[in-house]
Amino acid sequence: MWQPNNKAMKNNNNMNVTINKQDEKTLVVLDGRIDSTNADQFQQDVAPLMEGDNPDIEFDCSGMTYTSSQGLRVFLLLQKSVVARNGKMVLRDMNPRVKEVFDITGFSNIITIV
Amino acid sequence: MKLDMHCEMILNEYREKLPVFEKMKGVVLDLLRTCLKEKGILVSGLEARVKTEQSLAGKLELKGYKYHTLENVTDVVGARIITYYSDEVDIISALAEKLFDVDWDNSVDKRKMLEIDRFGYLSLHYVCRIPETLYKDPETPQINHIPFELQMRSTLQHVWANMYHDIGYKSDVEIPIEYQRNMTRLAGMLELADEQFCRIRKEINGYRRTVQSMVANGNLDEVPLNGDTFRSFLKMRPFKRLAEKIAAINQGEVYEDNLMPYYKVLLAMNMKTIGDIVRMCNEYSEGAYQLALLQLAGTGLDIVTYSVAVQNLCIVFILKKGFGEAGLVKLFDALYGPNEYHKQRAKRIYGQAQKINLI
Repeated sequence: MWQPNNKAMKNNNNMNVTINKQDEKTLVVLDGRIDSTNADQFQQDVAPLMEGDNPDIEFDCSGMTYTSSQGLRVFLLLQKSVVARNGKMVLRDMNPRVKEVFDITGFSNIITIV
Repeated sequence: MKLDMHCEMILNEYREKLPVFEKMKGVVLDLLRTCLKEKGILVSGLEARVKTEQSLAGKLELKGYKYHTLENVTDVVGARIITYYSDEVDIISALAEKLFDVDWDNSVDKRKMLEIDRFGYLSLHYVCRIPETLYKDPETPQINHIPFELQMRSTLQHVWANMYHDIGYKSDVEIPIEYQRNMTRLAGMLELADEQFCRIRKEINGYRRTVQSMVANGNLDEVPLNGDTFRSFLKMRPFKRLAEKIAAINQGEVYEDNLMPYYKVLLAMNMKTIGDIVRMCNEYSEGAYQLALLQLAGTGLDIVTYSVAVQNLCIVFILKKGFGEAGLVKLFDALYGPNEYHKQRAKRIYGQAQKINLI
Protein backbone atom coordinates (compact mmCIF):
# COMPACT_ATOMS: atom_id res chain seq x y z
CA MET A 1 0.00 0.00 0.00
CA TRP A 2 1.41 3.34 -0.99
CA GLN A 3 1.72 5.89 1.77
CA PRO A 4 1.71 9.55 0.85
CA ASN A 5 5.17 10.09 2.32
CA ASN A 6 7.15 12.92 0.86
CA LYS A 7 4.24 13.68 -1.44
CA ALA A 8 4.62 16.37 -4.06
CA MET A 9 1.81 17.38 -6.35
CA LYS A 10 2.11 19.63 -9.37
CA ASN A 11 -0.87 20.99 -11.15
CA ASN A 12 0.06 21.84 -14.71
CA ASN A 13 -2.10 22.87 -17.55
CA ASN A 14 -4.43 19.82 -17.91
CA MET A 15 -1.96 17.60 -16.10
CA ASN A 16 -1.34 16.61 -12.51
CA VAL A 17 1.89 14.93 -11.48
CA THR A 18 1.98 13.47 -7.98
CA ILE A 19 5.21 11.97 -6.71
CA ASN A 20 5.10 9.67 -3.69
CA LYS A 21 8.37 8.41 -2.31
CA GLN A 22 8.44 5.43 -0.05
CA ASP A 23 11.73 3.83 0.94
CA GLU A 24 13.45 2.79 -2.26
CA LYS A 25 10.38 3.09 -4.46
CA THR A 26 8.83 6.09 -6.15
CA LEU A 27 5.25 6.14 -7.37
CA VAL A 28 4.33 8.83 -9.84
CA VAL A 29 0.62 9.35 -10.45
CA LEU A 30 -0.20 11.00 -13.75
CA ASP A 31 -3.57 12.58 -14.26
CA GLY A 32 -4.64 14.32 -17.46
CA ARG A 33 -2.95 14.79 -20.84
CA ILE A 34 0.64 15.55 -21.75
CA ASP A 35 0.90 17.74 -24.82
CA SER A 36 2.88 20.64 -26.24
CA THR A 37 1.38 23.06 -23.71
CA ASN A 38 2.67 21.24 -20.63
CA ALA A 39 5.43 18.82 -21.73
CA ASP A 40 8.18 21.19 -20.54
CA GLN A 41 6.52 21.44 -17.16
CA PHE A 42 6.12 17.66 -17.06
CA GLN A 43 9.86 17.34 -17.67
CA GLN A 44 10.59 19.74 -14.83
CA ASP A 45 8.21 17.86 -12.55
CA VAL A 46 9.97 14.54 -13.09
CA ALA A 47 13.48 16.06 -13.07
CA PRO A 48 14.06 15.04 -9.40
CA LEU A 49 13.66 11.43 -10.53
CA MET A 50 16.83 11.77 -12.58
CA GLU A 51 18.99 11.74 -9.47
CA GLY A 52 20.10 8.96 -7.15
CA ASP A 53 21.31 5.39 -7.55
CA ASN A 54 19.25 2.31 -8.42
CA PRO A 55 15.96 4.14 -8.86
CA ASP A 56 12.77 2.12 -8.82
CA ILE A 57 10.04 4.21 -10.42
CA GLU A 58 6.47 3.23 -11.11
CA PHE A 59 4.10 5.46 -13.07
CA ASP A 60 0.42 5.06 -12.40
CA CYS A 61 -1.00 6.02 -15.79
CA SER A 62 -4.65 5.15 -15.09
CA GLY A 63 -5.60 8.83 -15.11
CA MET A 64 -3.47 9.76 -18.11
CA THR A 65 -5.65 10.54 -21.10
CA TYR A 66 -3.11 11.31 -23.84
CA THR A 67 0.57 11.86 -24.55
CA SER A 68 2.09 13.69 -27.47
CA SER A 69 5.57 12.97 -28.81
CA GLN A 70 6.91 15.62 -26.40
CA GLY A 71 5.63 13.45 -23.57
CA LEU A 72 7.20 10.37 -25.17
CA ARG A 73 10.54 12.18 -25.25
CA VAL A 74 10.30 12.94 -21.53
CA PHE A 75 9.60 9.26 -20.80
CA LEU A 76 12.54 8.32 -23.03
CA LEU A 77 14.86 10.76 -21.28
CA LEU A 78 13.83 9.42 -17.90
CA GLN A 79 14.14 5.80 -19.04
CA LYS A 80 17.71 6.39 -20.28
CA SER A 81 18.62 8.09 -17.02
CA VAL A 82 17.11 5.23 -14.98
CA VAL A 83 18.92 2.55 -17.00
CA ALA A 84 22.22 4.43 -16.68
CA ARG A 85 21.76 4.31 -12.91
CA ASN A 86 20.95 0.57 -12.88
CA GLY A 87 17.37 1.23 -11.94
CA LYS A 88 13.99 0.27 -13.31
CA MET A 89 10.98 2.16 -14.55
CA VAL A 90 7.53 0.79 -15.20
CA LEU A 91 4.38 2.40 -16.58
CA ARG A 92 1.23 0.68 -15.42
CA ASP A 93 -2.54 0.78 -15.87
CA MET A 94 -2.35 2.76 -19.08
CA ASN A 95 -5.63 3.18 -20.90
CA PRO A 96 -5.77 1.56 -24.36
CA ARG A 97 -5.88 4.89 -26.24
CA VAL A 98 -2.66 6.05 -24.62
CA LYS A 99 -1.13 2.61 -25.00
CA GLU A 100 -1.81 2.85 -28.72
CA VAL A 101 0.47 5.90 -28.92
CA PHE A 102 3.28 3.85 -27.40
CA ASP A 103 2.52 0.92 -29.73
CA ILE A 104 2.42 2.75 -33.06
CA THR A 105 5.60 4.71 -32.32
CA GLY A 106 7.47 1.60 -31.15
CA PHE A 107 7.87 3.02 -27.64
CA SER A 108 6.29 -0.15 -26.24
CA ASN A 109 9.53 -1.82 -27.35
CA ILE A 110 11.73 0.35 -25.16
CA ILE A 111 9.59 1.21 -22.15
CA THR A 112 8.17 -1.41 -19.83
CA ILE A 113 4.39 -1.13 -19.74
CA VAL A 114 2.35 -3.45 -17.56
CA MET B 1 59.47 -14.61 15.76
CA LYS B 2 63.11 -13.76 16.49
CA LEU B 3 65.04 -11.91 13.80
CA ASP B 4 68.70 -11.01 13.74
CA MET B 5 69.81 -7.38 13.75
CA HIS B 6 70.23 -7.23 9.99
CA CYS B 7 66.68 -8.43 9.40
CA GLU B 8 65.35 -6.05 12.07
CA MET B 9 66.98 -3.17 10.16
CA ILE B 10 65.20 -4.25 6.99
CA LEU B 11 61.94 -4.48 8.92
CA ASN B 12 62.46 -0.96 10.33
CA GLU B 13 63.06 0.36 6.83
CA TYR B 14 59.79 -1.30 5.78
CA ARG B 15 57.87 0.44 8.60
CA GLU B 16 59.30 3.83 7.60
CA LYS B 17 58.47 3.37 3.96
CA LEU B 18 55.03 1.84 4.43
CA PRO B 19 53.14 5.03 3.38
CA VAL B 20 55.22 5.17 0.19
CA PHE B 21 54.47 1.50 -0.52
CA GLU B 22 50.74 2.13 -0.03
CA LYS B 23 50.87 5.08 -2.39
CA MET B 24 52.85 3.06 -4.90
CA LYS B 25 50.28 0.26 -4.78
CA GLY B 26 47.60 2.76 -5.83
CA VAL B 27 49.80 4.19 -8.59
CA VAL B 28 50.55 0.74 -10.02
CA LEU B 29 46.86 -0.20 -9.95
CA ASP B 30 45.86 3.05 -11.66
CA LEU B 31 48.52 2.68 -14.35
CA LEU B 32 47.49 -0.89 -15.10
CA ARG B 33 43.78 -0.10 -15.05
CA THR B 34 44.23 2.85 -17.42
CA CYS B 35 46.44 0.86 -19.78
CA LEU B 36 43.99 -2.07 -19.97
CA LYS B 37 41.10 0.32 -20.54
CA GLU B 38 42.94 2.19 -23.29
CA LYS B 39 43.79 -1.06 -25.05
CA GLY B 40 40.26 -2.37 -24.57
CA ILE B 41 41.46 -5.52 -22.80
CA LEU B 42 39.04 -7.18 -20.43
CA VAL B 43 40.57 -9.14 -17.61
CA SER B 44 39.08 -11.40 -15.00
CA GLY B 45 40.88 -9.68 -12.14
CA LEU B 46 43.27 -6.87 -11.29
CA GLU B 47 44.55 -6.54 -7.75
CA ALA B 48 47.44 -5.16 -5.76
CA ARG B 49 48.68 -5.40 -2.20
CA VAL B 50 51.48 -4.31 0.08
CA LYS B 51 53.16 -7.20 1.89
CA THR B 52 52.14 -7.26 5.53
CA GLU B 53 54.81 -6.81 8.21
CA GLN B 54 54.09 -10.33 9.45
CA SER B 55 54.55 -11.81 6.00
CA LEU B 56 57.80 -9.88 5.45
CA ALA B 57 59.11 -10.95 8.85
CA GLY B 58 58.33 -14.57 7.96
CA LYS B 59 60.22 -14.23 4.71
CA LEU B 60 63.22 -12.64 6.47
CA GLU B 61 63.23 -15.36 9.08
CA LEU B 62 63.47 -18.01 6.37
CA LYS B 63 65.76 -16.31 3.85
CA GLY B 64 66.98 -13.11 5.46
CA TYR B 65 70.58 -13.91 4.46
CA LYS B 66 69.60 -13.32 0.80
CA TYR B 67 68.58 -9.70 1.29
CA HIS B 68 71.13 -6.94 1.78
CA THR B 69 68.54 -4.16 1.86
CA LEU B 70 64.78 -3.91 1.67
CA GLU B 71 65.12 -3.14 -2.03
CA ASN B 72 66.29 -6.71 -2.57
CA VAL B 73 62.84 -7.90 -1.45
CA THR B 74 61.16 -7.33 -4.79
CA ASP B 75 57.59 -8.19 -3.85
CA VAL B 76 56.88 -5.77 -1.00
CA VAL B 77 54.48 -4.16 -3.45
CA GLY B 78 52.76 -6.70 -5.64
CA ALA B 79 50.15 -6.53 -8.37
CA ARG B 80 48.36 -9.29 -10.18
CA ILE B 81 46.51 -9.44 -13.46
CA ILE B 82 44.27 -12.45 -13.98
CA THR B 83 43.30 -13.02 -17.60
CA TYR B 84 40.38 -15.07 -18.85
CA TYR B 85 42.50 -17.17 -21.18
CA SER B 86 46.02 -18.50 -20.81
CA ASP B 87 47.11 -17.16 -24.21
CA GLU B 88 46.23 -13.64 -23.04
CA VAL B 89 49.01 -13.75 -20.46
CA ASP B 90 51.54 -13.08 -23.24
CA ILE B 91 49.51 -10.09 -24.45
CA ILE B 92 49.46 -8.67 -20.94
CA SER B 93 53.16 -9.29 -20.45
CA ALA B 94 53.93 -7.44 -23.71
CA LEU B 95 51.94 -4.49 -22.39
CA ALA B 96 53.75 -4.62 -19.06
CA GLU B 97 57.11 -4.61 -20.86
CA LYS B 98 56.15 -1.46 -22.72
CA LEU B 99 54.72 0.19 -19.63
CA PHE B 100 57.34 -0.56 -16.97
CA ASP B 101 61.08 -1.08 -16.70
CA VAL B 102 61.39 -4.83 -16.28
CA ASP B 103 64.25 -6.24 -14.22
CA TRP B 104 64.91 -9.34 -16.32
CA ASP B 105 67.46 -10.82 -13.92
CA ASN B 106 64.81 -11.14 -11.23
CA SER B 107 61.79 -11.94 -13.42
CA VAL B 108 60.66 -15.52 -13.87
CA ASP B 109 58.36 -17.33 -16.24
CA LYS B 110 57.16 -20.18 -14.06
CA ARG B 111 55.32 -21.57 -17.06
CA LYS B 112 58.69 -22.50 -18.56
CA MET B 113 60.25 -23.77 -15.36
CA LEU B 114 58.32 -27.01 -15.16
CA GLU B 115 59.70 -30.16 -16.76
CA ILE B 116 57.63 -31.59 -19.60
CA ASP B 117 56.31 -34.34 -17.36
CA ARG B 118 55.44 -32.05 -14.44
CA PHE B 119 52.31 -30.05 -13.75
CA GLY B 120 51.85 -27.32 -11.19
CA TYR B 121 52.19 -23.60 -10.67
CA LEU B 122 52.05 -21.68 -13.94
CA SER B 123 52.42 -17.94 -13.73
CA LEU B 124 54.55 -15.17 -15.13
CA HIS B 125 56.30 -12.95 -12.59
CA TYR B 126 57.96 -9.70 -13.61
CA VAL B 127 59.93 -7.49 -11.28
CA CYS B 128 59.29 -3.95 -12.49
CA ARG B 129 59.93 -0.30 -11.75
CA ILE B 130 57.80 2.64 -12.73
CA PRO B 131 59.71 4.83 -15.21
CA GLU B 132 59.68 8.57 -14.64
CA THR B 133 58.28 9.04 -18.12
CA LEU B 134 55.16 7.25 -16.96
CA TYR B 135 54.73 8.66 -13.47
CA LYS B 136 56.61 11.26 -11.49
CA ASP B 137 55.82 12.71 -8.10
CA PRO B 138 58.36 15.16 -6.60
CA GLU B 139 57.04 14.38 -3.12
CA THR B 140 57.74 10.66 -3.42
CA PRO B 141 60.55 10.19 -5.96
CA GLN B 142 61.30 6.79 -4.36
CA ILE B 143 58.31 5.38 -6.22
CA ASN B 144 60.41 5.31 -9.39
CA HIS B 145 63.16 3.27 -7.72
CA ILE B 146 61.29 0.76 -5.58
CA PRO B 147 60.76 -2.56 -7.38
CA PHE B 148 57.38 -4.27 -7.42
CA GLU B 149 56.28 -7.70 -8.55
CA LEU B 150 53.70 -8.12 -11.27
CA GLN B 151 52.12 -11.54 -11.51
CA MET B 152 50.23 -12.49 -14.67
CA ARG B 153 48.22 -15.66 -14.95
CA SER B 154 45.01 -17.08 -16.37
CA THR B 155 41.85 -17.62 -14.33
CA LEU B 156 42.43 -21.36 -14.14
CA GLN B 157 46.10 -20.89 -13.23
CA HIS B 158 44.85 -18.57 -10.51
CA VAL B 159 42.35 -21.17 -9.30
CA TRP B 160 45.10 -23.75 -8.97
CA ALA B 161 47.46 -21.33 -7.19
CA ASN B 162 44.70 -20.26 -4.79
CA MET B 163 43.65 -23.79 -3.94
CA TYR B 164 47.25 -24.86 -3.52
CA HIS B 165 47.89 -21.91 -1.24
CA ASP B 166 44.74 -22.61 0.74
CA ILE B 167 45.88 -26.16 1.38
CA GLY B 168 48.79 -24.54 3.16
CA TYR B 169 51.95 -25.64 1.38
CA LYS B 170 54.50 -23.35 -0.17
CA SER B 171 56.07 -26.00 -2.39
CA ASP B 172 55.09 -29.42 -3.61
CA VAL B 173 58.13 -30.92 -1.87
CA GLU B 174 56.31 -30.42 1.44
CA ILE B 175 53.12 -32.15 0.33
CA PRO B 176 52.78 -35.69 1.66
CA ILE B 177 53.55 -38.07 -1.18
CA GLU B 178 50.08 -39.64 -1.12
CA TYR B 179 48.52 -36.25 -2.01
CA GLN B 180 51.14 -35.10 -4.50
CA ARG B 181 49.81 -37.30 -7.27
CA ASN B 182 46.25 -35.94 -6.87
CA MET B 183 47.46 -32.33 -6.89
CA THR B 184 49.48 -33.02 -10.03
CA ARG B 185 46.49 -34.63 -11.74
CA LEU B 186 44.39 -31.56 -10.95
CA ALA B 187 47.08 -29.24 -12.27
CA GLY B 188 47.22 -31.23 -15.51
CA MET B 189 43.45 -31.16 -15.85
CA LEU B 190 43.28 -27.38 -15.36
CA GLU B 191 46.11 -26.83 -17.85
CA LEU B 192 44.23 -28.92 -20.39
CA ALA B 193 40.98 -27.04 -19.67
CA ASP B 194 42.83 -23.72 -20.12
CA GLU B 195 44.08 -24.87 -23.51
CA GLN B 196 40.62 -26.08 -24.55
CA PHE B 197 38.99 -22.76 -23.60
CA CYS B 198 41.55 -20.96 -25.78
CA ARG B 199 40.85 -23.32 -28.68
CA ILE B 200 37.05 -22.97 -28.37
CA ARG B 201 37.30 -19.18 -28.24
CA LYS B 202 39.53 -19.13 -31.34
CA GLU B 203 37.08 -21.35 -33.24
CA ILE B 204 34.07 -19.22 -32.26
CA ASN B 205 35.89 -16.06 -33.30
CA GLY B 206 36.79 -17.72 -36.60
CA TYR B 207 33.15 -18.67 -37.13
CA ARG B 208 32.02 -15.11 -36.40
CA ARG B 209 34.52 -13.69 -38.88
CA THR B 210 33.35 -16.14 -41.57
CA VAL B 211 29.72 -15.25 -40.95
CA GLN B 212 30.45 -11.52 -40.99
CA SER B 213 32.18 -11.85 -44.34
CA MET B 214 29.29 -13.96 -45.72
CA VAL B 215 26.81 -11.29 -44.60
CA ALA B 216 28.98 -8.53 -46.05
CA ASN B 217 29.38 -10.39 -49.35
CA GLY B 218 25.65 -10.84 -49.68
CA ASN B 219 25.54 -14.65 -49.57
CA LEU B 220 22.60 -14.27 -47.26
CA ASP B 221 20.75 -17.49 -48.10
CA GLU B 222 23.82 -19.38 -46.94
CA VAL B 223 23.92 -17.59 -43.59
CA PRO B 224 21.92 -19.43 -40.93
CA LEU B 225 19.92 -17.23 -38.59
CA ASN B 226 21.42 -17.27 -35.11
CA GLY B 227 22.30 -14.71 -32.49
CA ASP B 228 25.72 -13.99 -34.03
CA THR B 229 24.53 -13.71 -37.62
CA PHE B 230 21.55 -11.55 -36.67
CA ARG B 231 23.85 -9.20 -34.77
CA SER B 232 26.18 -8.95 -37.78
CA PHE B 233 23.22 -8.40 -40.07
CA LEU B 234 21.91 -5.57 -37.90
CA LYS B 235 25.22 -3.76 -38.35
CA MET B 236 24.24 -3.34 -42.00
CA ARG B 237 21.20 -1.39 -40.77
CA PRO B 238 18.75 -3.34 -42.93
CA PHE B 239 15.60 -1.62 -41.62
CA LYS B 240 16.95 1.94 -41.73
CA ARG B 241 15.15 3.00 -44.90
CA LEU B 242 11.78 1.73 -43.71
CA ALA B 243 12.19 3.30 -40.25
CA GLU B 244 13.12 6.64 -41.77
CA LYS B 245 10.19 6.47 -44.19
CA ILE B 246 7.84 5.81 -41.25
CA ALA B 247 9.35 8.69 -39.24
CA ALA B 248 8.91 10.98 -42.27
CA ILE B 249 5.12 10.57 -42.06
CA ASN B 250 5.20 13.33 -39.45
CA GLN B 251 8.60 14.79 -40.42
CA GLY B 252 9.95 13.05 -37.37
CA GLU B 253 13.09 11.35 -36.11
CA VAL B 254 14.09 7.76 -35.50
CA TYR B 255 15.25 6.74 -32.03
CA GLU B 256 17.84 3.96 -32.28
CA ASP B 257 16.80 1.08 -30.08
CA ASN B 258 17.95 -2.50 -29.73
CA LEU B 259 16.51 -4.96 -32.24
CA MET B 260 17.95 -8.10 -30.66
CA PRO B 261 14.61 -8.93 -28.91
CA TYR B 262 13.28 -9.59 -32.43
CA TYR B 263 15.77 -12.40 -33.00
CA LYS B 264 13.65 -14.98 -31.17
CA VAL B 265 10.49 -13.64 -32.81
CA LEU B 266 11.99 -14.10 -36.27
CA LEU B 267 13.06 -17.63 -35.35
CA ALA B 268 9.50 -18.35 -34.20
CA MET B 269 8.30 -17.00 -37.55
CA ASN B 270 10.29 -19.81 -39.11
CA MET B 271 13.04 -17.63 -40.56
CA LYS B 272 15.95 -19.98 -41.21
CA THR B 273 18.50 -17.74 -42.87
CA ILE B 274 19.36 -14.05 -43.04
CA GLY B 275 18.16 -14.29 -46.64
CA ASP B 276 14.65 -15.07 -45.32
CA ILE B 277 14.66 -11.78 -43.38
CA VAL B 278 15.82 -9.85 -46.43
CA ARG B 279 13.00 -11.39 -48.48
CA MET B 280 10.48 -10.43 -45.79
CA CYS B 281 11.87 -6.91 -45.88
CA ASN B 282 11.62 -6.69 -49.68
CA GLU B 283 8.14 -8.20 -49.91
CA TYR B 284 6.43 -6.51 -46.99
CA SER B 285 8.09 -3.10 -46.54
CA GLU B 286 5.36 -1.34 -48.48
CA GLY B 287 2.65 -3.01 -46.39
CA ALA B 288 4.53 -2.14 -43.19
CA TYR B 289 4.74 1.47 -44.33
CA GLN B 290 1.05 1.64 -45.30
CA LEU B 291 0.09 0.32 -41.85
CA ALA B 292 2.28 2.97 -40.18
CA LEU B 293 0.80 5.65 -42.45
CA LEU B 294 -2.73 4.72 -41.38
CA GLN B 295 -1.72 4.72 -37.71
CA LEU B 296 0.48 7.81 -37.59
CA ALA B 297 -0.80 10.25 -40.21
CA GLY B 298 -2.40 13.27 -38.59
CA THR B 299 -1.27 12.33 -35.08
CA GLY B 300 1.70 14.71 -35.04
CA LEU B 301 3.77 11.96 -33.40
CA ASP B 302 7.20 12.91 -34.67
CA ILE B 303 9.39 10.32 -33.00
CA VAL B 304 9.43 6.59 -33.68
CA THR B 305 11.81 3.84 -32.67
CA TYR B 306 13.98 1.95 -35.15
CA SER B 307 12.23 -1.23 -34.03
CA VAL B 308 8.86 0.03 -35.24
CA ALA B 309 10.02 -0.94 -38.76
CA VAL B 310 10.65 -4.58 -37.77
CA GLN B 311 7.51 -4.61 -35.64
CA ASN B 312 5.35 -3.60 -38.61
CA LEU B 313 7.19 -6.00 -40.94
CA CYS B 314 6.44 -8.87 -38.55
CA ILE B 315 2.80 -7.80 -38.30
CA VAL B 316 2.38 -7.73 -42.08
CA PHE B 317 4.23 -11.03 -42.49
CA ILE B 318 1.94 -12.72 -39.93
CA LEU B 319 -1.21 -11.34 -41.53
CA LYS B 320 -0.09 -12.16 -45.09
CA LYS B 321 0.72 -15.72 -44.04
CA GLY B 322 -2.83 -16.08 -42.72
CA PHE B 323 -2.05 -16.36 -39.00
CA GLY B 324 -4.64 -13.67 -38.23
CA GLU B 325 -5.30 -12.09 -34.86
CA ALA B 326 -4.07 -15.15 -33.00
CA GLY B 327 -0.72 -14.82 -34.76
CA LEU B 328 -0.49 -11.18 -33.73
CA VAL B 329 -1.28 -12.03 -30.11
CA LYS B 330 1.53 -14.59 -30.22
CA LEU B 331 3.89 -11.94 -31.59
CA PHE B 332 3.03 -9.45 -28.84
CA ASP B 333 3.18 -12.13 -26.15
CA ALA B 334 6.64 -13.12 -27.38
CA LEU B 335 7.84 -9.53 -27.33
CA TYR B 336 6.31 -8.22 -24.12
CA GLY B 337 5.11 -11.28 -22.21
CA PRO B 338 1.49 -12.46 -22.05
CA ASN B 339 -1.10 -9.71 -21.51
CA GLU B 340 -4.85 -9.57 -22.05
CA TYR B 341 -4.43 -6.23 -23.82
CA HIS B 342 -2.69 -7.98 -26.73
CA LYS B 343 -6.02 -9.38 -27.98
CA GLN B 344 -7.41 -5.87 -28.13
CA ARG B 345 -4.34 -4.60 -29.94
CA ALA B 346 -4.41 -7.52 -32.39
CA LYS B 347 -8.08 -6.88 -33.15
CA ARG B 348 -7.42 -3.18 -33.76
CA ILE B 349 -4.50 -3.89 -36.10
CA TYR B 350 -6.47 -6.57 -37.94
CA GLY B 351 -9.19 -4.00 -38.60
CA GLN B 352 -6.63 -1.48 -39.81
CA ALA B 353 -5.06 -4.07 -42.12
CA GLN B 354 -8.47 -4.79 -43.65
CA LYS B 355 -8.98 -1.08 -44.28
CA ILE B 356 -5.83 -0.81 -46.36
CA ASN B 357 -6.39 -4.16 -48.08
CA LEU B 358 -3.42 -5.87 -46.52
CA ILE B 359 -5.62 -8.90 -46.03
